[in-house]
Amino acid sequence: MKASMPASLSFSPDPSFAASLGASIIVVEDSDEDFDTLVEAAHGVGLKRVIQRALSGADCLGLLRGEGGEGGERSGAGRAAKAPMHVLPALIFMDLNSHGVDGREALVTIKNDPGLKKIPLVVLTTSSNPKDLTFCLQAGANAYHVKPVRYDHYQLLIRSILHYWLEIATTEKMKAGAN
Amino acid sequence: MLESVNLNVPGAAKAEPDVADVTDGAGSAKWDALSYSTKRHGASITDCDAEPVRTPGCIQAHGALLVLRLVDLSILQASENTHVILGLSPAELLGRSVAAVVKPEGQAQLRSILATEPTDRNPIYAFTLPEAEHIAELDVTLHTIDGVVLVEFEPVGRSQTGSSIAPIPLAPRAKPDYYGIIKKTVTRLPSVSTLQEFCQVLADEVSLLSGMDRVMIYKFHADFHGEVVAESLRVDLPPWLGLHYPAEDIPKPARDIFAKTWIRPVPNINGALAEMTPLVNPDTGKPVDMTHCALRGVSLLYTEYLQNMDVCAGLTMPLRRGSDLWGLIACHHYSGPREVPYQLRAACEFLAQVGSLQLQAVEDRENAAYRIKLEEVNQQLLTMAAQEGGLASMTDGQPSLLGAMRANGAALFHGGMWWRVGQTPSEIQLDALAAWLVGRLSMDSLSSPVYATQSLSMDYPPGAAFSNVASGVLAAPLSSSGQNLMMWFRPEVIQTIHWGGNPNDKPMVPSPYGLRRVPRRSFDRFTESVRQHAAPWLPVEIDAAAQLRTLIMELVIVRAERLADLNADLARSNEELDAFAYVASHDLKEPLRGIHKYAHQLLEAASGDDEEEMKRLTGLMRLTLRMDGLLDSLLHFSQVGRENLALEPVDLNDVLADAIEMVSSRTNDGQMQIAAPRLLPKIVCDRVRVREVLVNLLSNGLKYNDKADKRVEVGFIEPHEAQLRSGFPESVSGHTVYYVRDNGIGIAPRHFEQVFKMFKRLHGRDEYGGGTGAGLTIVRKLVERHHGQVWPESTGSEGSTFYFNLSAADES
Repeated sequence: MKASMPASLSFSPDPSFAASLGASIIVVEDSDEDFDTLVEAAHGVGLKRVIQRALSGADCLGLLRGEGGEGGERSGAGRAAKAPMHVLPALIFMDLNSHGVDGREALVTIKNDPGLKKIPLVVLTTSSNPKDLTFCLQAGANAYHVKPVRYDHYQLLIRSILHYWLEIATTEKMKAGAN
Repeated sequence: MLESVNLNVPGAAKAEPDVADVTDGAGSAKWDALSYSTKRHGASITDCDAEPVRTPGCIQAHGALLVLRLVDLSILQASENTHVILGLSPAELLGRSVAAVVKPEGQAQLRSILATEPTDRNPIYAFTLPEAEHIAELDVTLHTIDGVVLVEFEPVGRSQTGSSIAPIPLAPRAKPDYYGIIKKTVTRLPSVSTLQEFCQVLADEVSLLSGMDRVMIYKFHADFHGEVVAESLRVDLPPWLGLHYPAEDIPKPARDIFAKTWIRPVPNINGALAEMTPLVNPDTGKPVDMTHCALRGVSLLYTEYLQNMDVCAGLTMPLRRGSDLWGLIACHHYSGPREVPYQLRAACEFLAQVGSLQLQAVEDRENAAYRIKLEEVNQQLLTMAAQEGGLASMTDGQPSLLGAMRANGAALFHGGMWWRVGQTPSEIQLDALAAWLVGRLSMDSLSSPVYATQSLSMDYPPGAAFSNVASGVLAAPLSSSGQNLMMWFRPEVIQTIHWGGNPNDKPMVPSPYGLRRVPRRSFDRFTESVRQHAAPWLPVEIDAAAQLRTLIMELVIVRAERLADLNADLARSNEELDAFAYVASHDLKEPLRGIHKYAHQLLEAASGDDEEEMKRLTGLMRLTLRMDGLLDSLLHFSQVGRENLALEPVDLNDVLADAIEMVSSRTNDGQMQIAAPRLLPKIVCDRVRVREVLVNLLSNGLKYNDKADKRVEVGFIEPHEAQLRSGFPESVSGHTVYYVRDNGIGIAPRHFEQVFKMFKRLHGRDEYGGGTGAGLTIVRKLVERHHGQVWPESTGSEGSTFYFNLSAADES
């Protein structure tokens, strides 16, 4: 599956990985097993960033707007901020079918928000339905991946995504209100 | 037997009305439309339309006519013969009260009748004047019209033929008991079941009553030419039964009179006429309307016509069906004048009225059985069509469109093709006929949705080419556009019409006023053959066609609506099924991933000492992966059947190359060889799906193969290569058949059907590289999507071949 590249992102020979070290990543995931797999994969590659978990799309929007996720929890070093994020997350993992369809709603909301749309958003879902793929890419998702059942494949996929978006791809500086 | 004769001759010299009259010679030569007298001006008539049939100004001289002013019953006009009939000359009568003739008692009786009876345009018998010196016993009848009273005096008839007529119970000064006279007839008529029998009874009874030499039931055809359909005649006379007479013999003015009156007596064709004195009503200056007068003067041309047939006396009554003139009861007498007295005439008139009322019933009775049969078959046709979901049963089923209809062939154009039964024109001829009919029917659709002809070639000249099967056509459109049609055919019947005389014999004779048209003089049988005609369609048949058309159109509309509903339901359930398949597989996969993950982690954490534990955890992981595969197959299969084919021209050699590459990447062991002995064709198909078919068949051929040197051959067999096609199903004849042949383990023939079943595996789960068991199920589905079929061939031990065809490709 191809990931569409937002126009605002451009490649640079000098990746700004270090500059955005402080930025967290948000994982929208209601399955504990899948979340754990992701965290394990992240630790496996030595990711130092804060991983914020949102149980639903609504939670994710709450985190981004500083309202604190109702069911949100932090994994790693910090605690959730109650104020609007000064530093936007470096990456969002979005599960579509977390609860109902609000993963899709959150995707649309984020990609229609001028302040949030530059955050790379990777859909990670069980759904192989072509309609979902089409919908997400048209809504502005930066990539779409189907979760493999095989644990080792799943791990490999997460590592690849983290590696690509945090180390290879050039993204905008994730300062809130930068634009 | 005719009241007037149509002498319409274009180009014939037309007499001027003001030309001097030669028959009279005395003075008053001029007449206008208001003061015409047949006696004086008749010979100057050259055109029937000019003859004032209803106001002839004369009466038949065997009786007398008085015209009275309605208010005081004083005499306005009298026929010139009153001194002979009534004993007083017109001069003695004019201006006086009618009491001068009928006595004050008679006048009182006339007043009473006028006050109580419906006398307007309806002659009513008043009384019989007793015999007096030099004056015969006279029947008196009266009717009113246009503010005058017409009183007719006719001698009471004496039995002239004696024995043949039943004694008539005359009741002077009483109303005639004509019901008593014809009671037998009236009770007999309703019992007859056919029209023919009915007409014969009528003719016989009128003959018996009237004593006329020849009594004919004369039926008008649609073009108003007439036919003698029943006859009762003196034994020595030549029969005219079955003879036809041209429409001009009884022209429209004469037919119109018979729509108003019930009887027309002419007791003496050669008798004198008596002119009215004065010729016009002095109060109004208009001639008296004698339409309802029994004594009305006979038209000159009618007289000539009857004289040409040697008729001495005539009596005519109409037969009406509803308000339409159906025919006539026409009586001729040849052996001299024949006076039919009032009472007898009334009986004949009553018979004509009863006959008219019964006519409809008899025709209905005759049609009823046929109509019931037609409607019954219509219902059966519809029931079959509804059950079978198509109109094919109308021609192929039992009963068919020919089930009740008296036709030799029928055809139905529906769903873009002809359905034929019985004798019909060829499809090419039908195509052209249908194209013409569509235009014709769209023009006529407002008046009638059905087209019926007994001579197609008259409307549609190319129809002459197939007049032997379809001179008669009854057609009804089955859709508003008229593109769908239903037709019945009747073959040509070379009809022989026997004319009473040559219908083209219309002689002209010179007269002082130019050429004058006279009635036909030849009445010898003249036979004419009419070609390219079929038996006419009966109204009941046309009704049945219209009824069936309505029923079918309703059915089609109902079906279309139902189909639309079903399609909507289907689309909805397809969407739901789609959603279900995804949701089900995803919801199942989520916990599956979790189980797999824990098994994986447990396995990693295991010490490695406990072999049993390791084995169980490995098994757990393998099972989760297998379930994952099954879910994917299920999801894939649910899509295969529903997504539209993307048909395009495809070079199968490219597709095969792709498939080989995909198979090779999956297969890693041993020697394998995939060969195509000759280049595959280019066809129209869905590239991706055909590739999937090949991938599945190729990988099966390699997978279920225990040879060190695995070989698979891909090829095709063309329709003409019969020697290679033995054992092929009939449905693939004419289609190219493709095959994938391997040297693998083979399939026992008893398993041929099982291999296509979903998740059905013939071997152990992990033998031959495992697999979900959906491959051939999907192959079959994909081939069927291409309107083809797939079947295996194998001895069961050494190698197998999968054949399939892609008919959708051949049809494109």
